[in-house]
Amino acid sequence: MRTCITSLVALGAALVLGGTALAQTEIRVTHSMSGGSNRAAFDAIVDAFEASHPDITVKQIVFDDDLYSDTGLITQLQSSEVPDIYFQWAGFPVQRDADAGYARDLSDVLGEGDWRDSFSESVWTEGAGTMVNGDPYIVPISLDVTNTIWYNTDIFAEYGIEAPATWDDFVSLVKTLADAGETPIIEGNNELWPLGNWASHIASRVVPPAEYEAAFSQEGPFNTPGFLRALELLEELHDAGGFNRDMPGLGADPAMAGFFQGAAAMHPIGSWLVGSAAELAEDDFNYDQFDTPIIDDSHPLKDSVIGTATGFIIHARAEHPDEAIEFLKFFTAPEQQKLWAESGSLSPVAGVNETADLDPKTASVAALFAEAGSIVPPPDTTYPVPVAEAYYQAAAYVASGEKSPEDALTWLDETIAVIGQQ
Amino acid sequence: MKDKTPEDRLQPISTGAANLVFVAPAMLLFGLFVLFPLLSAVYFAFTAWNGFSEPVWVGLANFRRAFADTVHLASYWHVTLYILGTLFFEVSFGLLMAVLLNSDRFGFSFMRGMFFSPMILSMSAAGVLWAFVLDYRTGLLNSVFDALGLDFLVQPWLSQSSTALLAIMFVSGWKFAGFYMIIFFAAIRRIPRNLYEAATLDGAGPVRQFFDVTLPLLRQNMMVAVLIAVTGGFAGFDLFFTLTNGGPFNSTEVPATWIIKQAFDQNQLGYGTALTVVLAVVVTIISLIYLHISERANVIRY
Repeated sequence: MRTCITSLVALGAALVLGGTALAQTEIRVTHSMSGGSNRAAFDAIVDAFEASHPDITVKQIVFDDDLYSDTGLITQLQSSEVPDIYFQWAGFPVQRDADAGYARDLSDVLGEGDWRDSFSESVWTEGAGTMVNGDPYIVPISLDVTNTIWYNTDIFAEYGIEAPATWDDFVSLVKTLADAGETPIIEGNNELWPLGNWASHIASRVVPPAEYEAAFSQEGPFNTPGFLRALELLEELHDAGGFNRDMPGLGADPAMAGFFQGAAAMHPIGSWLVGSAAELAEDDFNYDQFDTPIIDDSHPLKDSVIGTATGFIIHARAEHPDEAIEFLKFFTAPEQQKLWAESGSLSPVAGVNETADLDPKTASVAALFAEAGSIVPPPDTTYPVPVAEAYYQAAAYVASGEKSPEDALTWLDETIAVIGQQ
Repeated sequence: MKDKTPEDRLQPISTGAANLVFVAPAMLLFGLFVLFPLLSAVYFAFTAWNGFSEPVWVGLANFRRAFADTVHLASYWHVTLYILGTLFFEVSFGLLMAVLLNSDRFGFSFMRGMFFSPMILSMSAAGVLWAFVLDYRTGLLNSVFDALGLDFLVQPWLSQSSTALLAIMFVSGWKFAGFYMIIFFAAIRRIPRNLYEAATLDGAGPVRQFFDVTLPLLRQNMMVAVLIAVTGGFAGFDLFFTLTNGGPFNSTEVPATWIIKQAFDQNQLGYGTALTVVLAVVVTIISLIYLHISERANVIRY
C-alpha cells in the first residue's frame, strides 16, 4: 500500500516536474551548516557544480544544528518528498539509517575503484563508522577532532607556562592558574556532550579497551577500577579549581564565546572551534591547542585522538540518485576539497590537507590526526545514545563536585539498568 | 388556519441522519487531529521506537521504566515545588500589591500598569531576557552585586542545584504577579464600602479589616487564583526550557522538559510517548479535582 502511494506520488511529481522544467534536475541537499566559513566554501562549491552542470540545480535545505539532529532530519527522511542527500555523522547513525532503510548502499560506486581510493585509507576502516557489514553507506566529507584542549597563548605566556607533556604537568598548571585567580578551564556543559566527549577520551586512555567497549555496549558494568580512575582524574581537576563555576548551566556556544573573550585560559572542545574563530574572536586573539596529555604510558590507546567523520548519505528513495552521486564525486574531488579544507574543515580525501594552504590551526589539527596512535570515536555517535548520555552525566557530576567518583559510578550503573537494553 | 399545537412548536428542525451531516466536518477534524493522535500515542507508548525504524511492541516495559526513572519521578516533585513557589511569589504578592495599590490617588493607576506590564511579554521572551540578567559572568544581577561589593552574592544562579529552581520561581513571579493583582484589584473594588465603614466604627484597623473583611470576601477569587496557578504550573514549560532546560543535574527537570529530552534528544519516541501518557493521566486527575472544587467556589457570602 505504502509503496503504491509512494509510486503514485513519485509519478505525479515526475509529471509536474517534467512538464515545467524538462531540462532541469533539482537535487535536494539537507544539512546543518547555517553559517561560518564552511558554509561559504560549501556555497562556492555548489556554484561551481551548477556552472559545470547546467542541467542540474542544487537546493539546500538548512537547519540549525540542534534542530537538525532532534527533529529536522528525521521529519524529512520520513516525508513523501525526501532529500536526495543528507548530512550525517559516521558511526551509530549510519548503522541506524542503513537498518531503517533510509541510507542507500553505495557499494556499486564506493565498493572499489578510483573514487574509493581517492580517500585516506583510515576512512574505510572498521572503527571509522562509514560502513555497515563492510558496505559503504556514507561519503565522508570532514574529519572532526571532537575534543582537544584549546588555550589562550597570551594567558599562558603571562604565567610562564607551556603546553603540558604529562597529566601531572597539566594538573599543576591548572593549579597555578587557579591560584592566580584565573579561570583555568571554561566549558559549557548544559547539554552534557562537551565535557562528556572529553571525559570519554580520558576514559578511553585509562580503561582497558575491552572493559570500555563492554560498558558502553551494556555488556559490562561501569563500576570498575578503570572507570573509577577516569573519574578520579576529573575530580583532581575539580579539586584544583579547574572548571568555571557556571559550567553545568552554560551553553556550548556561550562558553566558546567566553574563551574568545579571555574569560578562561583553556577550552576543551572540538576542531570546529577554528571555523567559529573568524566570527567570535578579535584579530589579535592568540590561541593554540594541545591534546589531552598522556596519562598511562602502558595503555594501548595512550596517544589516541577522539574524533569522527561526518559525511553525506544518499537517501535510498532519492529521486535523482545518479545526479546526487555526480554531485558528491564533484564535491570530493581534490580541487574542491582544497577549497573545503582551506575553509577550516579537515578533508578525508588523501593528500588534500598536505597540499592545501591550510589555516595554521587547521594544520595543527591535521597534524594531531596524522600523529595519533589511534582514533577513538565519541560514544554518542558509536553506542546507544542514552548510555553515552548517562556516562556524560556521571562525568558532569564529578567535575562539578556534586558526586564522588564512586557514587557517580553507582548512580551510572543503576541508571543504565533502568534504561534497559537498547 | 389551524393553530400550532405545542408539539408542533417543539418539532426539531431536522431529525435523524440529517444531523450527522452537520456534525460530520467537526467530527472529522476532531477525529483526525485529536482522537487519532491520542489513540496512536497510546499504542506507541507500548513500543520501543527510535523514530527511524519500525516500532516494536514491548508491553508495559516503558511504564515500568517510567516508575523506576528517578529523574522522571523527581520532575513531578519539581513541578509541585514550582506551584508552591508560584502561590507565594505570584498569588500572595499579587494580593499584597492589589491591596497596597488600591487607591484613586495620582500615580496609582500608572503603578498598577507597571506591575501588570510583564504579562504582555511572551513567556519565552521573558526567559531569554532573564537568562541575560542571571548570567554568571556578564549578567546584570551579578554586576550589581559586584559593584556594591557584595561578592558573596555573586553566584552562578542558573548553574547550581540550590538556586536554579528558586530563580525560575522568581522570574515566574515577576511575570505573573501583575496578573493576579488585577484579578484581586477588580474583586476588592466590588466589596461594598459600607462593610469597611462598619468595621471602622467597630474599631478595626487596616490590618484587622484586611484579614476579617477583605480576605473572606475574596475567597472565591482566591480559589480561582490558586486553581489557575496549579494548572498553569503544570503547563509551565517555556521558562524551564529557556532558562535551564531542566539542568543543572536535572534539578529543574519538569515532565515536559524530560519528555522532550527522552523523545527527541535521545531518540526514544516510544518511552517519551509513555511519559506523555502518564502526564496526561495526571493532568486529567487534576482537571477533575479542579472542576469539582470550582463548582463549589461560586458561593457569594454577602
